[in-house]
Amino acid sequence: MVKGKLKIGGAAVALVVLALLLSGCTSKPTNEEKAQKITVSGSTTVLPIAQSAAEAYMKDHTKADITVSGGGSGVGITAIGQGTVDIGMSSRELKSTEMTQYPDLVITTVAKDALVMIVHSSNGLNSINLTAVRGIYNGTIKNWKELGGSDMPIVIVGRDSASGTFGYFQEFVMKNENSTSLMLGKNSNGAVKETVAQTPGAIGYVGLGYTTGGVKALKLDVNGALIEGSAATVLDKTYPASRDLFMITKGPAKGLAKAYIDFILSPAGQKIVQAQDFVPLK
Amino acid sequence: MTPAAGPKSEERTTLRADNERVRPRFFRKSGLRRRLTELGIRSLLFIAAVLSIIIIFFVILFLFREAVMAFSEIGVSRLLGGDYWNPSGVPPSYGAWPLIVGTLLVTLGAMAFAIPVGIGSAIFIACLAPPRLRLALKSLSEILSGIPSVVYGVFGLLVLTDWIRVTFERPTGETWLAASLILGIMALPIIISVAEDAISSVPKEYIEASLSMGATRWQTIRRIIVPSAISGITAAVILGMGRAVGETMAVLMVAGNSAIIPSPITNVFSPVRTLTATLGIEMGEVARGSTWYSTLFALAVILFVITLVINTLANYILARLKDKFRPGARKPERAVLRRWLRTRALRLIGKDGTQKFELPAAARTWLGRAGRAFFVLALLWLFVSWFGWLRGPVTLAVLAFMYVGYGKLAEKNRQRAAFALITAAAVTMLFLVGIILYFIISNGLPAMSWEFLSQSPSDLGRKGGIYPAIVGTLVLVGGTLAIAVPLGVGAGIYLSEYAKEGWLTKIIRAAIDNLNGTPSIVFGLFGLAFLVLYLDLGVSMLAGWLTLAFMILPTVIRTTEEALQTVPVPIREGSLALGATKWQTIRKIVLPNGASGVITGVVLGAGRAAGETAPILFTAAVAFTRFLPDNIYDPVMALPYHLFILTTSIPGSRTQAYGTALVLLLIVLPMYAVSAYLRFRIYKKKR
Repeated sequence: MVKGKLKIGGAAVALVVLALLLSGCTSKPTNEEKAQKITVSGSTTVLPIAQSAAEAYMKDHTKADITVSGGGSGVGITAIGQGTVDIGMSSRELKSTEMTQYPDLVITTVAKDALVMIVHSSNGLNSINLTAVRGIYNGTIKNWKELGGSDMPIVIVGRDSASGTFGYFQEFVMKNENSTSLMLGKNSNGAVKETVAQTPGAIGYVGLGYTTGGVKALKLDVNGALIEGSAATVLDKTYPASRDLFMITKGPAKGLAKAYIDFILSPAGQKIVQAQDFVPLK
Repeated sequence: MTPAAGPKSEERTTLRADNERVRPRFFRKSGLRRRLTELGIRSLLFIAAVLSIIIIFFVILFLFREAVMAFSEIGVSRLLGGDYWNPSGVPPSYGAWPLIVGTLLVTLGAMAFAIPVGIGSAIFIACLAPPRLRLALKSLSEILSGIPSVVYGVFGLLVLTDWIRVTFERPTGETWLAASLILGIMALPIIISVAEDAISSVPKEYIEASLSMGATRWQTIRRIIVPSAISGITAAVILGMGRAVGETMAVLMVAGNSAIIPSPITNVFSPVRTLTATLGIEMGEVARGSTWYSTLFALAVILFVITLVINTLANYILARLKDKFRPGARKPERAVLRRWLRTRALRLIGKDGTQKFELPAAARTWLGRAGRAFFVLALLWLFVSWFGWLRGPVTLAVLAFMYVGYGKLAEKNRQRAAFALITAAAVTMLFLVGIILYFIISNGLPAMSWEFLSQSPSDLGRKGGIYPAIVGTLVLVGGTLAIAVPLGVGAGIYLSEYAKEGWLTKIIRAAIDNLNGTPSIVFGLFGLAFLVLYLDLGVSMLAGWLTLAFMILPTVIRTTEEALQTVPVPIREGSLALGATKWQTIRKIVLPNGASGVITGVVLGAGRAAGETAPILFTAAVAFTRFLPDNIYDPVMALPYHLFILTTSIPGSRTQAYGTALVLLLIVLPMYAVSAYLRFRIYKKKR
């Protein structure tokens, strides 16, 4: 008897669930109702800032609930454009196609970062110029000896297409020339760093926060001057490969989203930016 | 599965006829109430069945519908045959050929490893191992099929790729070889368990007859047991292939993901990119309705078609296996069809179709020789491209010498050599499994502490614990079961007990079977496009539940149906003859007898829901959240996703990653152990 009832109960649950599913579009709480709860997603470069800031903010505001997720800048822009999150993170500027597709996005710069070329710590090279980087990534330079290093094939490590770092690199360094298909596409700065640290012949590009521990950051050779990627060189604009990091909202930020972004822009927030090895705005 | 379930349709109709005769008398006595219950239950089951079937066909149709645009805009030949995949480039390029080749090569490599090791282990377990060891190994391989793919990925990324880089002195270990090895290991459990089933179901009489004629054990295995079980072994291989084709997370973590065709094509040290990995990497960033979006659906359709071919083959072969050991089995329809086709073809070229067509003897010898020569040349080419002009031919010569030498051995020594190889296969299997488990457990134990299990993560998961992820995974599994079990079990009961057998049920079964083998990432894509975006559920628990539920629904339906079919017809007839109604019979007789089978299916589904990453990647999971979800529109943390994020994105979080992997294993593996135990009990009961 009990079993029979269970089965009937089960079928009833199924119906309820289906009803829920069908009414899903209408019964979703609006943003005003869940003002104390936001989701932030996108760029893995911005992720450390967002998560640390969220942890600090939530320590002072016990009711606030900020959920942070990665995926890449492409994911973040698409997600905020399609309204599946409250804040999108991006480490590249929006493409014109994205601007026209999602016209009501509001973009806030929260920090600056440098794009740094890294190699395995045993690599003899100390600096590189952007032409050589382009040569490596378009597949014409295949061996370190062509750049005056040891005779070792170059393992090209880059980011997958969802990455804003990839987008920035494609635009700024590659001048929109396609990267070679031989490039190993990683899904985060951390993954690029780990791979380069593990692989003697590797080169990769990462944000400022990923230049220690088994890898060596290359100085950029700008017309003979060797410039190290650092907060100082980004701020005085001598380092050429610097970029802004963005948080994007649909329309002007409201409620917790606004408070959270304001917190990141505040002196306390910018200290967190610095602590996470990024460059504060001022 | 048993011979008793054989000619279903005839027995079903007699059953129904009996029931019709009984019913009027019965209803007169018991009145309206019972009649209403009977009708109500039937309608509920019917609704469950119809809903499940609608869902299944909807998923399939949705995939195809969204893919149409890509095929029409890019063109079928340019999409399938184009050799440059760069959808984010300027201008974008959508050539899926490197991805298709990548998928096929990786699968091929995995099979080259998994077939000898898997079948060797299966023979070892079924024929050589003493009974106790046999039971232990068999349950071990069942439990192993539960290791989540992301755990294999972690092992592959942190250990295997590094090992390949150092051992083979390659610039990087993220290669076709790494992907194939990992997939091969992942395909082992299913190959072993299906092949072992087939081998141990070879009738004892065959073996005894062979041994009593004076054949050695190895001769019996080679000439009697393996040929008799060959359909089952083939099916095992094909099912293993299905697993390898559909795998996402592990491949994504070790294959390097460069969309290139290895050059030369035998270069196992080239990075590759599979269809599934491409979906996993790119589906989060595509805007709904764009060409790129549609192209990803086209990739899903390609995967679906590959699965369709694989499943159809496996089902056909398994069906033949069922017929084989049934006395008086009818000739399969396909054999009749084949004979008819051949007759027609022979008539066309002017031969009398009734005669058996044969090539002249000389031509046949020459064809045979040409075939062998081609085989040797192909091997030579492969070895040369791997080991170079000097070492390649030498290796081949050594192998050939060993083969010829084996032919000259005395029977007793042949048996020794063969058994040594078979044992080596089983030892290899155990060694690999042991290494992976040891790696996770020994590295994960130091992370274990009460804080780790009870706190939220902090500092990007480098500190704190994984409490929200544990709860998230459990909640995901619970909700998934709440949806999939009533629907799936209800549909299974309806299909097995009420539905009339006919072309419609056949189509439904085919659809269920095919969706059963469809890669989980395809469900993830469906969940993202339909549930998250179109229905606007957002990245939420509800979207995750539904995605996972749709994914395990086919398994639950199928196992329920199969379990109920094994309940012998005489017992049902007895119940009906005593005046019980249809539903009373099902509830009191059929369900209790089939219960362990049904539960096995449910537990397997739960294990899968807990361990899968690909379906929740963009539908339900987030990297960090502080509180537990308090309504169904909240996203959740989940153990497999957390493990993926920690390993791939957060440097300096190794200990936490291993700890997460260990906790995930501790949640998933017991589920598989329960289902293995239940299956074992059913198996013993049948004996």
